[in-house]
Amino acid sequence: MENMQLLFGGFETVFTLQNVSACLLGAVLGLIVGAMPGIGSLAGVALLLPLTYKFDATTAIIMLGSLYYSNMYGGSFSAILLNIPGDSPAIMTSLDGYPMATTRGRPGQALFTANIASFTGGTIGILILTFTGPALADLGLNFGPTEMTALLLVAMTSIGWLVGENPTKGVVLTLFGILMASIGMDTVTGSPRYDFGILQLMGGIPFIPFVIGAVGFAQVIKLMEDRNKVTEGAVTQKLTIRGSLLTRHEVRRLLPPAFRSGVMGTFVGVLPGAGATTGAFLGYAMQKTFKSEEPLGTGAVEGIAACEAANNAAAAGAFAPLLALGIPGSGTGAVLLGGLMMWGLEPGPMLFTNHSDFAWGLIASLYLANLLTLAIALCIIPFLIRILSVPVKYMIPCIVTVCIVGSYSTSNSMYGVIVMFVSGILGYLLDKNGYSTAPMLLAFVLAPLLEKNMRRAFTTSQGDPSVFVDFANHPISAVLMLIFFVIICVPIVKLIIRKVKGSKNTTPAA
Amino acid sequence: MKKQLAFVMAGVMAASMMLTACGGSSSSSEAAGSTAESTGSAAEGEAQGAWAPSKSIDWFCASSPGGGSDIFSRMITDIMTKEGVTSETFLVTNKTDGGGEVVKAQVSETKAGKQADHTLMTFNVGELQPMLLNTDRRIEDFTPIAVMALDKQLLFAGPKSPYQDFQSVIDAIESGKSVNVSGSKGDDEAVYAALLAEMGWTEDQLVYVRHDATSDAITTALGGHSELVIGKPAATSSYVAEGVEASKKLTPVLAFSTERFTGALGEAPILSEVDPNHKDVELPTWRGVCGPKDMSPEAAQFWSDALKKVSETEQWKTEYLEKNQLIGAYMDLEETKEYMTQAQVDYLASIGKAE
Repeated sequence: MENMQLLFGGFETVFTLQNVSACLLGAVLGLIVGAMPGIGSLAGVALLLPLTYKFDATTAIIMLGSLYYSNMYGGSFSAILLNIPGDSPAIMTSLDGYPMATTRGRPGQALFTANIASFTGGTIGILILTFTGPALADLGLNFGPTEMTALLLVAMTSIGWLVGENPTKGVVLTLFGILMASIGMDTVTGSPRYDFGILQLMGGIPFIPFVIGAVGFAQVIKLMEDRNKVTEGAVTQKLTIRGSLLTRHEVRRLLPPAFRSGVMGTFVGVLPGAGATTGAFLGYAMQKTFKSEEPLGTGAVEGIAACEAANNAAAAGAFAPLLALGIPGSGTGAVLLGGLMMWGLEPGPMLFTNHSDFAWGLIASLYLANLLTLAIALCIIPFLIRILSVPVKYMIPCIVTVCIVGSYSTSNSMYGVIVMFVSGILGYLLDKNGYSTAPMLLAFVLAPLLEKNMRRAFTTSQGDPSVFVDFANHPISAVLMLIFFVIICVPIVKLIIRKVKGSKNTTPAA
Repeated sequence: MKKQLAFVMAGVMAASMMLTACGGSSSSSEAAGSTAESTGSAAEGEAQGAWAPSKSIDWFCASSPGGGSDIFSRMITDIMTKEGVTSETFLVTNKTDGGGEVVKAQVSETKAGKQADHTLMTFNVGELQPMLLNTDRRIEDFTPIAVMALDKQLLFAGPKSPYQDFQSVIDAIESGKSVNVSGSKGDDEAVYAALLAEMGWTEDQLVYVRHDATSDAITTALGGHSELVIGKPAATSSYVAEGVEASKKLTPVLAFSTERFTGALGEAPILSEVDPNHKDVELPTWRGVCGPKDMSPEAAQFWSDALKKVSETEQWKTEYLEKNQLIGAYMDLEETKEYMTQAQVDYLASIGKAE
């Protein structure tokens, strides 16, 4: 209960006019930044860091915290409405969000689902953070290179059958994503791979332009193709807040996946380097094993809820190692950490002891940010969905502009824009031939993590693969490897059984 | 018509005046340079109206916002603005394309002229080594302007490590065991290599587990997935401080230096103390500034002087050096060129690329 007391102390810190308005400002800016593809939370926090120098440390970090947090909400807006994920966790959201907004013609409900799930997931994450506090971070420490490798193997093998109807196509694109990810500096030795003598390629394919292109720009090409077919009548329902509300039944459908994903997302967020994208992905993967009323990928409420809840929970979970150990779980975390140092706070294992008012103030501000962001998001949904009633001929140039600006801003160079155009054409061609681009993008995110951890694990074990199944020293890894083998073997065994049955059936006939 | 002509004339006159002014300043700055050398004071060059920035300055940083290089760049530009070195604006741009190689190419190839004189770049050992490893660009393709600070590493034992001092590491390795050490890439790894060479160990006896950043390496060590970790004071000192929970504490076991550190880090002995038969291993890394190859000598002198001024401010000493436990080591144009070139020769030799 000591934690509760400290938390209330934290609330006292937060509830001053100055801090509440800082939190509000952070939430608004975060939503805007998050909704803009390409800017993402990393650049958002980095850009706004200098703005906060004038504030005192607590106020400043409250603002940055709420900014980071509301980013996770904002990212889903463009994913749902335009099929352009605002940040990488939102790739999963677009899988169900965009179909729900367009083919099912229920953009308001899709946004509501995303936001309520985000709120639920976030709340669970913050609650876990509050009650376990620094202890949560210790859990993450149990995941060394070996354990992370096993976890990522499980994640990556499930991508193929997870997304789209055709697992073969899924596997092909997963492999293609891994291939794309291996361009650039070797993650361990730093030597260049597949750079073909081109200086830019030495640093690899930048992720954000790649996503914006493969999803967003491909979407633009598609819109151009059938701009004459689609009339403005696509979304004719009345776009009012009343018309956007969820039915009671839908809320009931939304909550179970949001709860499950919330808990799981928090733990994924704590793991070193895993982050919100992995969280969102695993949330969705988990939902696939549960029953959904509509098939995932066709605009199911459960699909949106599962990944949105997980990514917000992961964002909250990521604060545990940041505050308790001074170890950032993501690039954004690193910038926040840089901010802490500039204000003379020393992040690290002593932060909770030496600056407990500050640490708990930040946690308290997450509660506030969560509420504020939900309120703001709900208020702007009716205006946001009007985007869909804009005629396609006006939409196309707008989206193209957003795509170009977003991809330029990641590295301040035209290289990003070129990557965006090329991957846009690629994405369009893939989509045209019935390949979903999501496996490619996910593999692209996860492959470098897998490679890094696997190579570290092998370095540590001096090339001995048995560490992964060594139950005595690496129990977590051993269990995960078991799951991994089950995932691989089940389809093969099923196939064999079918073959055997098939031959039995055909033999008598012959 | 007449009006237009008058404008043109005025323009030509203004331009020619500027040209003469420039010519004049370059000759006077040479004179200033010689006086500066003779008196050993840098501030005089400015007083005599030498080269001064006349447009906004592009300061490039090849790593992401928030990292060490970024903080270094922003701290310097902030101090320069506060100290009134110039009234022009500094635009710090983070360009990470091609692992930072793209911006290095851009800076080094900036053609002589106004832009070249207003282009600067944060240049650390971490910038130099990958460039030498992967490209044909050399330090000769830049104008080295200043080295600002030096940084040294320490070796730490993780909380779950069976080796809580360096002697036990030696004993373990000598008895045929293999020990893991996690660390960041680049210069931390170079120190590891130097340690191997000094101790006569192989990479299988003391295994290096590469990470992207020291914070990742620390995570690995805290979780007990590696026994030792290499890091610099800035990233590690908070894990050594008094009062840290035992499960999150790093124990400094060896200082890569010729003398002990101060404070809590002073606990760590240097190698010659552990075993007098060995020499101390020290491989300080440096943080500095470079300009384009074609930067004019006057501009280079101006920036060198400006950075000297920065290095003498209280803000630099307390808010940068002290906070990050760095060693202030300002070097002027000549010294910097010599130092960076030597670093290049050493590194090329170490990777077998000697020219």
